[in-house]
Amino acid sequence: MKRLIDSGMEQLASMLFRMGEIAQKTVSLSIVNYLEGTHTPTQVKQLSDTLSSMAEPIEDTAFEIIARFQPVASDLRILKSYMKICYDFRRYGRYALDISQIYERLSGMDECDTSFRKIIEEMGLETLEMVGTSIQALKNHDAAVAKTLSEMENRVDKLYYSYLDKLIETKTTTGCTISSLLVVRYLERIADHATYIGESIVYLATGEKMRLR
Amino acid sequence: MSQDDKIDIRQLNIWFGEKHVIRGVDLKIKANAVTAIMGPSGCGKSTMLRAFNRMNDVIKSSKTTGDIFIGGKNIYDNNTNVYDLRRQVGMVFQKPNPLPKSIYENVAFGPKIHKMAKGKDLDKIVEKSLRAAALWDEVNDRLNDSAFDLSGGQQQRLCIARALAVDPEVILMDEPCSALDPAATAKIEQLIRILSTDYTVVIVTHNMQQASRVSDYTVFLYLGKVIEKGGTKAIFENPQHELTEQYITGEFG
Repeated sequence: MKRLIDSGMEQLASMLFRMGEIAQKTVSLSIVNYLEGTHTPTQVKQLSDTLSSMAEPIEDTAFEIIARFQPVASDLRILKSYMKICYDFRRYGRYALDISQIYERLSGMDECDTSFRKIIEEMGLETLEMVGTSIQALKNHDAAVAKTLSEMENRVDKLYYSYLDKLIETKTTTGCTISSLLVVRYLERIADHATYIGESIVYLATGEKMRLR
Repeated sequence: MSQDDKIDIRQLNIWFGEKHVIRGVDLKIKANAVTAIMGPSGCGKSTMLRAFNRMNDVIKSSKTTGDIFIGGKNIYDNNTNVYDLRRQVGMVFQKPNPLPKSIYENVAFGPKIHKMAKGKDLDKIVEKSLRAAALWDEVNDRLNDSAFDLSGGQQQRLCIARALAVDPEVILMDEPCSALDPAATAKIEQLIRILSTDYTVVIVTHNMQQASRVSDYTVFLYLGKVIEKGGTKAIFENPQHELTEQYITGEFG
Protein backbone atom coordinates (compact mmCIF):
# COMPACT_ATOMS: atom_id res chain seq x y z
CA MET A 1 0.00 0.00 0.00
CA LYS A 2 1.25 3.45 -0.90
CA ARG A 3 2.30 5.52 2.10
CA LEU A 4 1.04 9.07 2.58
CA ILE A 5 4.59 10.38 2.31
CA ASP A 6 5.12 8.70 -1.06
CA SER A 7 3.20 11.16 -3.21
CA GLY A 8 5.19 14.06 -1.71
CA MET A 9 8.46 12.23 -2.27
CA GLU A 10 7.50 11.45 -5.87
CA GLN A 11 6.57 15.07 -6.49
CA LEU A 12 9.87 16.21 -5.01
CA ALA A 13 11.86 13.75 -7.12
CA SER A 14 10.05 14.87 -10.24
CA MET A 15 10.81 18.54 -9.51
CA LEU A 16 14.47 17.81 -8.80
CA PHE A 17 14.93 15.58 -11.86
CA ARG A 18 13.43 18.33 -14.01
CA MET A 19 15.83 20.80 -12.43
CA GLY A 20 18.67 18.40 -13.21
CA GLU A 21 17.69 18.25 -16.86
CA ILE A 22 17.66 22.04 -17.09
CA ALA A 23 20.96 22.28 -15.21
CA GLN A 24 22.55 19.85 -17.64
CA LYS A 25 21.18 21.80 -20.60
CA THR A 26 22.48 25.09 -19.16
CA VAL A 27 25.99 23.80 -18.52
CA SER A 28 26.09 22.04 -21.85
CA LEU A 29 24.98 25.13 -23.78
CA SER A 30 27.46 27.33 -22.00
CA ILE A 31 30.44 25.02 -22.45
CA VAL A 32 29.65 24.16 -26.06
CA ASN A 33 29.24 27.86 -26.83
CA TYR A 34 32.63 28.61 -25.38
CA LEU A 35 34.35 25.70 -27.11
CA GLU A 36 32.72 26.22 -30.49
CA GLY A 37 32.66 29.99 -30.52
CA THR A 38 28.90 30.24 -30.73
CA HIS A 39 27.10 32.59 -28.38
CA THR A 40 23.66 32.45 -26.79
CA PRO A 41 23.98 34.56 -23.63
CA THR A 42 20.27 35.31 -23.29
CA GLN A 43 19.35 31.67 -23.41
CA VAL A 44 21.98 30.74 -20.80
CA LYS A 45 20.81 33.60 -18.59
CA GLN A 46 17.20 32.49 -18.86
CA LEU A 47 18.08 28.90 -18.03
CA SER A 48 20.23 29.97 -15.09
CA ASP A 49 17.37 32.14 -13.77
CA THR A 50 14.98 29.24 -14.22
CA LEU A 51 17.25 27.07 -12.07
CA SER A 52 17.32 29.72 -9.35
CA SER A 53 13.55 30.00 -9.36
CA MET A 54 13.12 26.21 -9.19
CA ALA A 55 15.15 25.89 -6.02
CA GLU A 56 12.70 27.49 -3.63
CA PRO A 57 9.66 25.32 -4.46
CA ILE A 58 11.88 22.25 -4.07
CA GLU A 59 13.08 23.40 -0.65
CA ASP A 60 9.50 24.27 0.35
CA THR A 61 8.27 20.83 -0.69
CA ALA A 62 11.06 19.15 1.27
CA PHE A 63 10.22 21.24 4.34
CA GLU A 64 6.55 20.41 4.02
CA ILE A 65 7.34 16.70 3.90
CA ILE A 66 9.52 17.01 6.99
CA ALA A 67 6.86 18.97 8.87
CA ARG A 68 3.96 16.75 7.91
CA PHE A 69 5.42 13.27 7.79
CA GLN A 70 8.50 13.31 10.05
CA PRO A 71 10.55 11.17 7.65
CA VAL A 72 13.24 8.81 8.90
CA ALA A 73 15.82 6.39 7.49
CA SER A 74 15.98 6.32 3.67
CA ASP A 75 13.22 8.95 3.37
CA LEU A 76 15.18 11.31 5.59
CA ARG A 77 18.43 10.66 3.75
CA ILE A 78 16.72 11.30 0.42
CA LEU A 79 15.31 14.61 1.64
CA LYS A 80 18.63 15.80 3.00
CA SER A 81 20.41 14.76 -0.19
CA TYR A 82 17.81 16.29 -2.50
CA MET A 83 18.09 19.63 -0.72
CA LYS A 84 21.85 19.56 -1.12
CA ILE A 85 21.63 18.50 -4.76
CA CYS A 86 19.14 21.28 -5.43
CA TYR A 87 21.84 23.72 -4.30
CA ASP A 88 24.43 21.98 -6.49
CA PHE A 89 22.14 22.36 -9.51
CA ARG A 90 21.85 26.07 -8.78
CA ARG A 91 25.62 26.27 -8.75
CA TYR A 92 25.77 24.44 -12.09
CA GLY A 93 23.54 27.18 -13.47
CA ARG A 94 25.53 29.97 -11.88
CA TYR A 95 28.89 28.75 -13.22
CA ALA A 96 27.35 28.20 -16.64
CA LEU A 97 26.21 31.80 -16.57
CA ASP A 98 29.68 32.92 -15.48
CA ILE A 99 31.24 31.10 -18.43
CA SER A 100 28.73 32.71 -20.75
CA GLN A 101 29.50 36.17 -19.35
CA ILE A 102 33.24 35.62 -19.71
CA TYR A 103 32.67 34.77 -23.34
CA GLU A 104 30.63 37.91 -23.79
CA ARG A 105 33.21 40.17 -22.15
CA LEU A 106 36.52 38.59 -23.13
CA SER A 107 35.54 36.46 -26.15
CA GLY A 108 36.15 32.75 -26.56
CA MET A 109 39.13 30.72 -27.57
CA ASP A 110 39.77 32.45 -30.90
CA GLU A 111 43.13 33.79 -29.79
CA CYS A 112 44.20 30.62 -28.00
CA ASP A 113 46.99 28.49 -29.34
CA THR A 114 46.43 24.80 -29.91
CA SER A 115 47.96 23.56 -26.67
CA PHE A 116 45.62 25.69 -24.55
CA ARG A 117 42.63 24.82 -26.69
CA LYS A 118 43.34 21.15 -26.29
CA ILE A 119 43.32 21.31 -22.49
CA ILE A 120 40.21 23.48 -22.33
CA GLU A 121 38.30 21.29 -24.78
CA GLU A 122 39.26 18.15 -22.93
CA MET A 123 38.33 19.68 -19.60
CA GLY A 124 35.02 21.01 -20.96
CA LEU A 125 34.01 17.64 -22.35
CA GLU A 126 35.05 15.79 -19.20
CA THR A 127 33.08 18.24 -17.07
CA LEU A 128 30.03 17.81 -19.28
CA GLU A 129 30.39 14.06 -18.92
CA MET A 130 30.47 14.48 -15.13
CA VAL A 131 27.33 16.59 -15.14
CA GLY A 132 25.55 13.94 -17.21
CA THR A 133 26.79 11.18 -14.93
CA SER A 134 25.66 13.02 -11.80
CA ILE A 135 22.16 13.37 -13.22
CA GLN A 136 22.01 9.78 -14.40
CA ALA A 137 23.13 8.57 -10.97
CA LEU A 138 20.51 10.75 -9.32
CA LYS A 139 17.65 9.47 -11.44
CA ASN A 140 18.51 5.87 -10.60
CA HIS A 141 19.77 6.48 -7.05
CA ASP A 142 22.79 4.56 -8.29
CA ALA A 143 25.68 4.69 -5.84
CA ALA A 144 27.99 2.69 -8.14
CA VAL A 145 27.60 5.19 -10.97
CA ALA A 146 27.95 8.06 -8.49
CA LYS A 147 31.27 6.69 -7.30
CA THR A 148 32.68 6.83 -10.85
CA LEU A 149 32.60 10.62 -10.51
CA SER A 150 35.63 10.44 -8.24
CA GLU A 151 37.93 9.25 -11.01
CA MET A 152 36.46 11.72 -13.48
CA GLU A 153 37.02 14.55 -11.03
CA ASN A 154 40.66 13.53 -10.69
CA ARG A 155 41.04 13.85 -14.45
CA VAL A 156 39.44 17.31 -14.44
CA ASP A 157 41.74 18.39 -11.62
CA LYS A 158 44.78 17.14 -13.51
CA LEU A 159 43.73 19.09 -16.58
CA TYR A 160 43.13 22.16 -14.45
CA TYR A 161 46.60 22.03 -12.95
CA SER A 162 48.18 21.24 -16.29
CA TYR A 163 46.50 24.38 -17.64
CA LEU A 164 47.92 26.45 -14.77
CA ASP A 165 51.38 24.95 -15.30
CA LYS A 166 51.21 25.75 -18.96
CA LEU A 167 50.15 29.30 -18.27
CA ILE A 168 53.12 29.86 -15.97
CA GLU A 169 55.43 28.17 -18.42
CA THR A 170 54.41 30.39 -21.36
CA LYS A 171 54.37 33.62 -19.33
CA THR A 172 51.86 35.15 -21.71
CA THR A 173 48.79 37.21 -20.97
CA THR A 174 46.28 37.39 -23.79
CA GLY A 175 42.52 37.60 -24.07
CA CYS A 176 42.58 33.85 -24.39
CA THR A 177 44.62 33.17 -21.28
CA ILE A 178 42.59 35.53 -19.10
CA SER A 179 39.21 34.29 -20.29
CA SER A 180 40.17 30.64 -20.30
CA LEU A 181 41.81 30.86 -16.87
CA LEU A 182 38.46 31.91 -15.47
CA VAL A 183 36.62 29.31 -17.53
CA VAL A 184 38.82 26.41 -16.39
CA ARG A 185 38.27 27.54 -12.83
CA TYR A 186 34.50 27.45 -13.37
CA LEU A 187 34.77 24.06 -15.02
CA GLU A 188 36.75 22.80 -12.07
CA ARG A 189 34.05 24.08 -9.70
CA ILE A 190 31.28 22.48 -11.77
CA ALA A 191 33.21 19.21 -11.53
CA ASP A 192 33.42 19.68 -7.76
CA HIS A 193 29.65 20.08 -7.56
CA ALA A 194 29.20 16.95 -9.66
CA THR A 195 31.18 15.04 -7.03
CA TYR A 196 29.16 16.64 -4.23
CA ILE A 197 26.07 15.31 -5.98
CA GLY A 198 27.79 11.92 -6.22
CA GLU A 199 28.45 12.00 -2.48
CA SER A 200 24.81 12.84 -1.80
CA ILE A 201 23.69 9.94 -3.96
CA VAL A 202 26.00 7.48 -2.22
CA TYR A 203 24.61 8.73 1.09
CA LEU A 204 20.95 8.54 0.14
CA ALA A 205 21.36 5.08 -1.38
CA THR A 206 23.58 3.49 1.25
CA GLY A 207 23.79 5.76 4.29
CA GLU A 208 27.55 5.92 3.79
CA LYS A 209 29.19 9.33 4.08
CA MET A 210 31.92 9.10 1.48
CA ARG A 211 34.25 11.73 0.11
CA LEU A 212 34.63 11.45 -3.64
CA ARG A 213 37.08 14.33 -3.95
CA MET B 1 28.60 -6.49 31.74
CA SER B 2 30.34 -3.18 31.23
CA GLN B 3 30.15 -0.52 33.93
CA ASP B 4 27.91 1.52 31.68
CA ASP B 5 25.32 -1.24 31.39
CA LYS B 6 22.52 -1.19 33.94
CA ILE B 7 20.44 -4.06 32.61
CA ASP B 8 21.88 -7.19 31.05
CA ILE B 9 19.38 -9.55 29.47
CA ARG B 10 20.58 -13.00 28.56
CA GLN B 11 18.64 -15.50 26.52
CA LEU B 12 15.30 -14.23 27.73
CA ASN B 13 12.32 -16.32 26.68
CA ILE B 14 8.77 -15.66 27.80
CA TRP B 15 5.69 -17.72 27.08
CA PHE B 16 2.05 -17.07 27.85
CA GLY B 17 0.59 -20.54 27.76
CA GLU B 18 1.67 -21.99 24.43
CA LYS B 19 2.46 -18.59 22.94
CA HIS B 20 6.17 -17.90 22.75
CA VAL B 21 6.25 -14.10 23.07
CA ILE B 22 9.91 -13.25 23.74
CA ARG B 23 12.37 -15.42 21.86
CA GLY B 24 15.93 -15.66 23.05
CA VAL B 25 16.63 -11.99 23.61
CA ASP B 26 20.15 -10.88 24.51
CA LEU B 27 20.36 -7.19 25.22
CA LYS B 28 22.26 -4.70 27.32
CA ILE B 29 20.67 -1.45 28.44
CA LYS B 30 22.86 1.51 29.29
CA ALA B 31 22.77 3.22 32.67
CA ASN B 32 21.66 6.84 32.90
CA ALA B 33 20.28 6.92 29.43
CA VAL B 34 16.90 6.56 27.76
CA THR B 35 16.39 3.37 25.79
CA ALA B 36 13.31 3.12 23.61
CA ILE B 37 11.86 -0.24 22.68
CA MET B 38 9.76 -0.03 19.55
CA GLY B 39 8.04 -2.48 17.32
CA PRO B 40 4.63 -3.33 15.90
CA SER B 41 1.69 -4.34 18.08
CA GLY B 42 2.13 -7.77 19.56
CA CYS B 43 5.89 -7.90 19.08
CA GLY B 44 6.50 -8.31 22.82
CA LYS B 45 7.60 -4.79 23.81
CA SER B 46 5.43 -4.49 26.91
CA THR B 47 6.07 -8.11 27.87
CA MET B 48 9.80 -7.51 27.77
CA LEU B 49 9.46 -4.30 29.75
CA ARG B 50 7.36 -6.06 32.37
CA ALA B 51 10.04 -8.71 32.70
CA PHE B 52 12.41 -6.06 34.09
CA ASN B 53 10.48 -5.88 37.34
CA ARG B 54 8.86 -9.31 37.13
CA MET B 55 5.40 -7.95 36.50
CA ASN B 56 4.74 -10.92 34.24
CA ASP B 57 4.92 -13.15 37.33
CA VAL B 58 1.38 -12.12 38.24
CA ILE B 59 0.07 -13.73 35.04
CA LYS B 60 -0.43 -17.37 35.88
CA SER B 61 0.09 -18.72 32.38
CA SER B 62 3.44 -16.95 31.99
CA LYS B 63 6.73 -18.77 31.98
CA THR B 64 10.11 -17.04 31.84
CA THR B 65 13.55 -18.51 31.18
CA GLY B 66 16.92 -16.80 30.90
CA ASP B 67 18.46 -14.18 33.11
CA ILE B 68 18.11 -10.47 33.67
CA PHE B 69 20.83 -8.76 35.64
CA ILE B 70 20.07 -5.33 37.03
CA GLY B 71 23.03 -3.61 38.61
CA GLY B 72 24.84 -6.95 38.47
CA LYS B 73 22.15 -8.91 40.35
CA ASN B 74 20.06 -11.58 38.68
CA ILE B 75 16.46 -10.58 39.33
CA TYR B 76 15.24 -14.07 38.45
CA ASP B 77 17.22 -15.66 41.29
CA ASN B 78 15.02 -17.55 43.69
CA ASN B 79 16.07 -15.34 46.58
CA THR B 80 15.08 -12.08 44.86
CA ASN B 81 12.61 -10.06 46.88
CA VAL B 82 10.10 -8.98 44.28
CA TYR B 83 8.80 -6.09 46.37
CA ASP B 84 12.30 -4.67 46.72
CA LEU B 85 12.82 -5.23 43.01
CA ARG B 86 9.73 -3.19 42.17
CA ARG B 87 10.97 -0.39 44.39
CA GLN B 88 14.29 -0.51 42.57
CA VAL B 89 12.60 -0.71 39.18
CA GLY B 90 9.63 1.63 39.02
CA MET B 91 6.97 1.63 36.36
CA VAL B 92 4.75 4.18 34.68
CA PHE B 93 1.82 2.91 32.66
CA GLN B 94 -0.07 4.01 29.55
CA LYS B 95 -2.92 5.66 31.38
CA PRO B 96 -2.28 7.66 34.51
CA ASN B 97 -3.38 5.50 37.42
CA PRO B 98 -3.35 7.66 40.56
CA LEU B 99 -4.63 6.11 43.75
CA PRO B 100 -7.98 7.43 45.04
CA LYS B 101 -6.15 9.56 47.54
CA SER B 102 -4.75 13.05 47.85
CA ILE B 103 -1.82 14.28 45.77
CA TYR B 104 0.40 14.05 48.85
CA GLU B 105 -0.74 10.54 49.76
CA ASN B 106 -0.14 9.29 46.23
CA VAL B 107 3.51 10.22 46.43
CA ALA B 108 3.90 9.23 50.09
CA PHE B 109 2.32 5.83 49.51
CA GLY B 110 5.46 3.97 48.41
CA PRO B 111 7.85 5.40 51.03
CA LYS B 112 5.28 4.59 53.73
CA ILE B 113 4.86 0.99 52.57
CA HIS B 114 8.61 0.51 52.38
CA LYS B 115 8.98 2.25 55.75
CA MET B 116 11.47 4.66 54.26
CA ALA B 117 10.39 7.76 56.17
CA LYS B 118 7.69 9.50 58.16
CA GLY B 119 6.85 12.99 59.36
CA LYS B 120 9.02 15.77 57.98
CA ASP B 121 11.34 13.33 56.25
CA LEU B 122 8.35 12.03 54.34
CA ASP B 123 7.33 15.58 53.47
CA LYS B 124 10.80 16.12 52.05
CA ILE B 125 10.55 12.99 49.90
CA VAL B 126 7.16 14.10 48.59
CA GLU B 127 8.46 17.55 47.70
CA LYS B 128 11.65 16.20 46.13
CA SER B 129 9.71 13.68 44.06
CA LEU B 130 7.14 16.23 42.90
CA ARG B 131 9.92 18.61 41.97
CA ALA B 132 11.77 15.89 40.07
CA ALA B 133 8.54 15.14 38.21
CA ALA B 134 8.17 18.85 37.35
CA LEU B 135 4.85 19.02 39.20
CA TRP B 136 5.69 20.78 42.46
CA ASP B 137 5.09 24.32 41.21
CA GLU B 138 1.64 23.35 39.99
CA VAL B 139 0.42 21.50 43.11
CA ASN B 140 2.36 22.72 46.16
CA ASP B 141 -0.60 24.79 47.40
CA ARG B 142 -3.11 21.94 47.08
CA LEU B 143 -1.32 18.80 48.19
CA ASN B 144 -4.39 17.59 50.02
CA ASP B 145 -6.65 17.81 46.99
CA SER B 146 -7.70 14.59 45.32
CA ALA B 147 -5.29 13.35 42.68
CA PHE B 148 -8.29 12.98 40.41
CA ASP B 149 -8.64 16.78 40.33
CA LEU B 150 -5.45 16.98 38.27
CA SER B 151 -5.38 17.02 34.47
CA GLY B 152 -4.35 13.88 32.60
CA GLY B 153 -0.83 15.19 32.04
CA GLN B 154 -0.51 16.20 35.69
CA GLN B 155 -1.79 12.81 36.81
CA GLN B 156 0.86 11.12 34.69
CA ARG B 157 3.58 13.30 36.23
CA LEU B 158 2.13 12.44 39.64
CA CYS B 159 2.56 8.76 38.77
CA ILE B 160 6.15 9.49 37.82
CA ALA B 161 6.62 11.30 41.15
CA ARG B 162 5.13 8.27 42.90
CA ALA B 163 7.65 6.02 41.14
CA LEU B 164 10.53 8.37 42.05
CA ALA B 165 9.51 8.59 45.70
CA VAL B 166 10.83 5.12 46.50
CA ASP B 167 14.25 6.01 45.12
CA PRO B 168 14.38 3.66 42.13
CA GLU B 169 17.38 3.04 39.89
CA VAL B 170 15.42 2.16 36.78
CA ILE B 171 12.17 3.64 35.50
CA LEU B 172 10.10 1.67 33.03
CA MET B 173 7.55 3.55 30.96
CA ASP B 174 4.94 1.76 28.92
CA GLU B 175 3.51 4.20 26.36
CA PRO B 176 3.48 6.96 28.97
CA CYS B 177 2.04 9.60 26.64
CA SER B 178 -0.51 7.58 24.69
CA ALA B 179 -3.41 9.09 26.64
CA LEU B 180 -2.08 12.64 26.70
CA ASP B 181 -2.51 15.70 24.50
CA PRO B 182 0.52 17.24 22.68
CA ALA B 183 1.28 19.81 25.39
CA ALA B 184 1.18 17.24 28.18
CA THR B 185 3.21 14.87 25.99
CA ALA B 186 5.88 17.53 25.50
CA LYS B 187 6.19 18.01 29.27
CA ILE B 188 6.54 14.28 29.91
CA GLU B 189 9.13 14.01 27.13
CA GLN B 190 11.15 16.87 28.62
CA LEU B 191 10.88 15.16 31.98
CA ILE B 192 12.11 11.86 30.57
CA ARG B 193 15.24 13.59 29.26
CA ILE B 194 15.88 15.22 32.64
CA LEU B 195 15.29 11.97 34.53
CA SER B 196 17.89 10.17 32.45
CA THR B 197 20.69 12.08 34.19
CA ASP B 198 19.87 10.27 37.44
CA TYR B 199 17.98 7.17 36.34
CA THR B 200 18.07 4.48 33.72
CA VAL B 201 14.89 4.93 31.69
CA VAL B 202 13.38 2.31 29.42
CA ILE B 203 10.39 3.41 27.40
CA VAL B 204 8.08 1.41 25.20
CA THR B 205 6.42 3.48 22.54
CA HIS B 206 4.43 3.08 19.36
CA ASN B 207 5.27 6.63 18.47
CA MET B 208 8.52 6.53 16.54
CA GLN B 209 8.92 10.27 16.56
CA GLN B 210 8.69 10.13 20.31
CA ALA B 211 11.35 7.43 20.40
CA SER B 212 13.58 9.53 18.19
CA ARG B 213 13.02 12.63 20.32
CA VAL B 214 13.55 11.22 23.78
CA SER B 215 15.84 8.24 23.53
CA ASP B 216 19.59 7.80 23.38
CA TYR B 217 19.34 4.19 22.27
CA THR B 218 16.69 2.36 20.34
CA VAL B 219 15.81 -1.33 20.19
CA PHE B 220 13.62 -2.66 17.40
CA LEU B 221 11.69 -5.74 18.44
CA TYR B 222 9.81 -7.90 15.96
CA LEU B 223 8.01 -11.15 16.67
CA GLY B 224 9.73 -11.39 20.05
CA LYS B 225 13.26 -10.95 18.71
CA VAL B 226 15.64 -8.03 18.78
CA ILE B 227 16.13 -7.20 15.12
CA GLU B 228 18.32 -4.16 15.61
CA LYS B 229 19.67 -2.07 18.44
CA GLY B 230 21.92 0.94 18.55
CA GLY B 231 22.20 4.67 18.95
CA THR B 232 18.91 6.38 18.14
CA LYS B 233 20.50 8.67 15.55
CA ALA B 234 21.97 5.71 13.68
CA ILE B 235 18.76 3.69 13.81
CA PHE B 236 16.63 6.54 12.50
CA GLU B 237 19.11 7.80 9.93
CA ASN B 238 20.62 4.64 8.61
CA PRO B 239 19.08 1.42 9.92
CA GLN B 240 21.13 -1.63 9.03
CA HIS B 241 18.32 -4.15 8.88
CA GLU B 242 15.72 -4.14 6.13
CA LEU B 243 12.91 -4.86 8.62
CA THR B 244 13.86 -1.85 10.73
CA GLU B 245 13.87 0.36 7.64
CA GLN B 246 10.47 -0.96 6.60
CA TYR B 247 9.00 -0.49 10.06
CA ILE B 248 10.23 3.01 10.75
CA THR B 249 9.35 4.28 7.29
CA GLY B 250 5.83 2.96 7.75
CA GLU B 251 5.91 0.18 5.21
CA PHE B 252 4.45 -2.20 7.79
CA GLY B 253 3.35 -2.21 11.38
